[in-house]
Amino acid sequence: MAGGLQTLRCACVRACAGRPQLNDIMRFSAFLRSLARRAYPALAVALLALPASGALWLEGPQSTFQTAGPVAKDQLHLFYITLWVTLILFVITGSALAVATLKFRAKTEADEHAAPPPQSHGNPVVELGLTIGSIVCLLFIAVPTLHSIKYTYDVENGETPGKLAKLVEEGKAYRIKATGYQWWFKFEYPTEKTAAGSDLVTANELVIPAGMPVHIDLRTGDVIHSFWVPKLGGKVDMIPNRPNHLWLQADEPGYYFGQCAEYCGDSHSIMKFRVIALAKDDFAKWLAAQKQPARAAAPLAPTPAAKGTMAVLNLDGRDRLAPLAGTGDASVAFTAWQARQQPAPAQENTALISAGRRLFRDNNCIMCHAIRGQEGIGTNAPDLTHVGARSTIAAGLLENNPERMKDWLIEPDYWKPSNKMFHGITYPVKMAGYLKLDESGQPQMNPTGQPVRNIALTDADATALTAYLQSLK
Amino acid sequence: MADALVKSEFLPKEAHAPAKAGLLFARPTAKTGLMSWLTTVDHKKIGVLYAAFAIFFFLVGGVEALLIRTQLMVPNNHFLGAHTYGELFTMHGTTMIFLAVMPLNAAFFNLLIPLQIGARDVAFPRLNAFSLWVFVAGATVMNIGWLLPSGAPAVGWFGYAPLTSKLFTPDISADLWAMGLQILGVSSIAASLNFIVTIINMRAPGLTMMRLPVFTWMALFTSFLLVLAMPAIAIALVEVIFDRHFNTMFFEASRGGQPILWQHLFWVFGHPEVYILILPPMGYISEILPTFSRKPLFGYAVVVFSGATIGFIGFGVWSHHMFTTGLGAVATAAFALATMAIAVPTGVKIFNWIGTLWGGHLQMRTPMLFALGFIWMFMLGGFSGIMHAAAPADAQQQDTYFVIAHFHYVLIGGATFALLAAIHYWFPKFFGRMVDETWGKISFWVIFVGFNCTFFPMHFLGLNGMPRRTWTYDSNMEWNGLNMFCTISAYVLGLGIFIYFATVVWSYFKGQKVGNDPWDGRTLEWSIPSPPPEHNFDAIPTVRARDGWWHAKQNPAEAKKDADAAIKAEAAHGGIHMPDQSWFPFFGGVGMLIAGLGFANYFPPASFTGLGILVLSIYFWALEGPGGYHIHLDQGAGEGHGHGGH
Repeated sequence: MAGGLQTLRCACVRACAGRPQLNDIMRFSAFLRSLARRAYPALAVALLALPASGALWLEGPQSTFQTAGPVAKDQLHLFYITLWVTLILFVITGSALAVATLKFRAKTEADEHAAPPPQSHGNPVVELGLTIGSIVCLLFIAVPTLHSIKYTYDVENGETPGKLAKLVEEGKAYRIKATGYQWWFKFEYPTEKTAAGSDLVTANELVIPAGMPVHIDLRTGDVIHSFWVPKLGGKVDMIPNRPNHLWLQADEPGYYFGQCAEYCGDSHSIMKFRVIALAKDDFAKWLAAQKQPARAAAPLAPTPAAKGTMAVLNLDGRDRLAPLAGTGDASVAFTAWQARQQPAPAQENTALISAGRRLFRDNNCIMCHAIRGQEGIGTNAPDLTHVGARSTIAAGLLENNPERMKDWLIEPDYWKPSNKMFHGITYPVKMAGYLKLDESGQPQMNPTGQPVRNIALTDADATALTAYLQSLK
Repeated sequence: MADALVKSEFLPKEAHAPAKAGLLFARPTAKTGLMSWLTTVDHKKIGVLYAAFAIFFFLVGGVEALLIRTQLMVPNNHFLGAHTYGELFTMHGTTMIFLAVMPLNAAFFNLLIPLQIGARDVAFPRLNAFSLWVFVAGATVMNIGWLLPSGAPAVGWFGYAPLTSKLFTPDISADLWAMGLQILGVSSIAASLNFIVTIINMRAPGLTMMRLPVFTWMALFTSFLLVLAMPAIAIALVEVIFDRHFNTMFFEASRGGQPILWQHLFWVFGHPEVYILILPPMGYISEILPTFSRKPLFGYAVVVFSGATIGFIGFGVWSHHMFTTGLGAVATAAFALATMAIAVPTGVKIFNWIGTLWGGHLQMRTPMLFALGFIWMFMLGGFSGIMHAAAPADAQQQDTYFVIAHFHYVLIGGATFALLAAIHYWFPKFFGRMVDETWGKISFWVIFVGFNCTFFPMHFLGLNGMPRRTWTYDSNMEWNGLNMFCTISAYVLGLGIFIYFATVVWSYFKGQKVGNDPWDGRTLEWSIPSPPPEHNFDAIPTVRARDGWWHAKQNPAEAKKDADAAIKAEAAHGGIHMPDQSWFPFFGGVGMLIAGLGFANYFPPASFTGLGILVLSIYFWALEGPGGYHIHLDQGAGEGHGHGGH
């Protein structure tokens, strides 16, 4: 056993050795300290709050019980049917089991040594009756299941491409394409053209019209992912070489939490997204703003940034258990999102923005990220044209505010392990991220065994980049 | 004669025969010490080895589970790295299924089938040893990644393509996973063929199929499921290995491959696998409940046929693991209905177990407590299974903690509770000592409470939107309290498991000694000494009824007459014939290990060396023949004279 633990410890150390920017041992001891500080209160809260907070168990931002659209409602309705049928069966069967156990239990020493009971072998009538009874019970589930399979499969009257196109044309349905990547989501609007004539593209925050069925085509750029917004509907997988789709509808404008639901590699658990449903007018307004090229708050700085020492992520004094992506209260988050759509404040540090824009170009960020109308031209990372108007960054992981964005830019691998911005890509082309790659595409190591940095942001760089990205409303 | 039944001094303690001129090696004859274990062909020793390895891996998998739970105790935790977490949940699942529950079932197949059917060994004793050593080879390949730079596999126990491709897992961890699983499959198929032949051909006189103990029936079904299901995964794994090594494109999406194909092949294996895990536990329960109710199983025929039905329909429901892959409405409907249908024979079994209790004299021994716990927990797991069958509802549950709760209710509350019941129940038979009852009962209650507190809340976590295989979660999702509670409960469950096995180990040394039949059992294994002699039965029993030993106890005169006749008949044929030990099954396993590591490491010299050792082992194994010697009861020792083979 000790050997096994030792091995596991080696594995932990080794797994981190590939990303040694932070001292893991220290990180762990810091964690232990922080855990110890809150162990007693946390335990007390957990034990006291559990029985009292029954309602809270099913009221999270991804609750399948607080449905907000017809697909999720239908699925919940079916769940309740299965729950009631099985609950009744459980009460009946469980009672029989409990009665049999209590009634026939040997209670005294004499019972223990009594002569064996009659050696009966069964009863065909009972067997047959119970079998038929089970089948009847299952019919109560089977019939609604079949109905629901048909209903949730696609937009009503839009089951074929032709019919769907007609619905979209008539304005009775909306169509969007979602593509999963390790570890973020791309959203394309095939019916909305930008000023440059291309399809409108956004990332990680899907904005849809409320009160209208939305047919979402599901694709993937690499491995299998799964598209899931619990309050709006169940998940459907995004599978290579297999076009899938789902439909959902948000009855009311609002802010909904979504998450990848199929294991897709190291950062699967933090591959999240949001769905924002808007009333008709608001949606039109949002589309018009999104179709504009990126807001140019300042021109490209003429000179490159000064060299300096690499910034180190410092989380001392921060509450490690505090939410990373802000509140889970959807109505508060919705208000905050709406506020972000307002024009940028009058006083902006244009010098800083200008320097950030230059850094964005000089560090090759532009090769992967598109910023329409400015330098960014890449398409294999999230489109950042209007990133300042989003409520989250890093695929729904972090709240979009200057502090979090700077943390993210300094040390992306801490927040999202194995991410491509940090580690670079080898397919379909070799492109380095924060780390330098050798010929075979492996991280280049310096003589001390540390990976060599391709991008080493100073604290000032990170501040400038943050200012630039925040300005992209 | 009655004396000979309780004493086992005729169990040969040392080499009794002159070493035979074997091929390459003298044929081993050691009955004790390391050599005896490495070369044994005795089904009981092989069973004990299977159990020892399985329990070791069960504890390893348990530690992995506790590390997982520790990481999830608080939100935004960095106790484990994301990749390490991926390795841990992959290896936890793989270990518990392939290296713990399956081999523990295999251990009981080995220990019990020959005893329950009144046979002296399995049909192919050396093939049996080969299965064991190949299993050890596969387990080694699967786990060796922990010690290598690549790390352990981190693709999930389901290894969904294209995550297993060279592009997304460039290191050899996925090769280790694929080769390890492939080798384990070889072991399973070899063992299963052996058990099928044994059960069909080696039953004692009078033991017709419809008198077979239910456990043996379930073992037979399980063996057929393995033989039919394993080839699907074997082919799929060959395709994965070809994709990785030879640039084929079965699942390589960038060149037109179809990752969805992997899912079909995997679940065509993977769903029968679920029944491979749970049918033997249904067998243990169907033995334990009648013993402690002191009456026969209610509806024997129905229980047997429902087992067959489950096995059969089990091959037609695989796509319910894929309800969210866009099967289309018609296929989804068909698999939803088939999945509901399989609930019927499963429910029937539960009714029959309750029927067995009804009207009995229930003795609340530890195995009975675990068996009753099994029925409750398995029932809950079954009900959440029905919820999954409703495909649209499953779209919300799939890949969430609700599924985790469901299958842990089936695999811990079900399979593991039954296995713990079985270990406690049959321990005295194989070690001659009782497991301590007081501590056994304490362990049951700690496990029962710990298990339910760990896994019941996970239903709520899943319905509240927490996906599975998540390394960490944000603190704004309302999952904090329940995760903390689940983790603390998991430690309680771990404590219960510790108490259970500590009690077993203590009882091995200090437990109360018992005779042949401590529980007043019903099947043939209770008719022979504890521990059984090497040859199991002095006289091959003649079975006059279902629950043959119970019948014999009711009719001692008839049983005595049958036994005397059997001994006389056997003496006329030269006495009790036993097979010789052999080195070659072990060497075959070693060859498999070297070949597996060679393939996984892209090192052809090792692959070919390993394959060479394997082929030579099988060649010499065939050439040396079964050999054998006779045991004469009245002399108390065997007399060696090789016959057969060469």
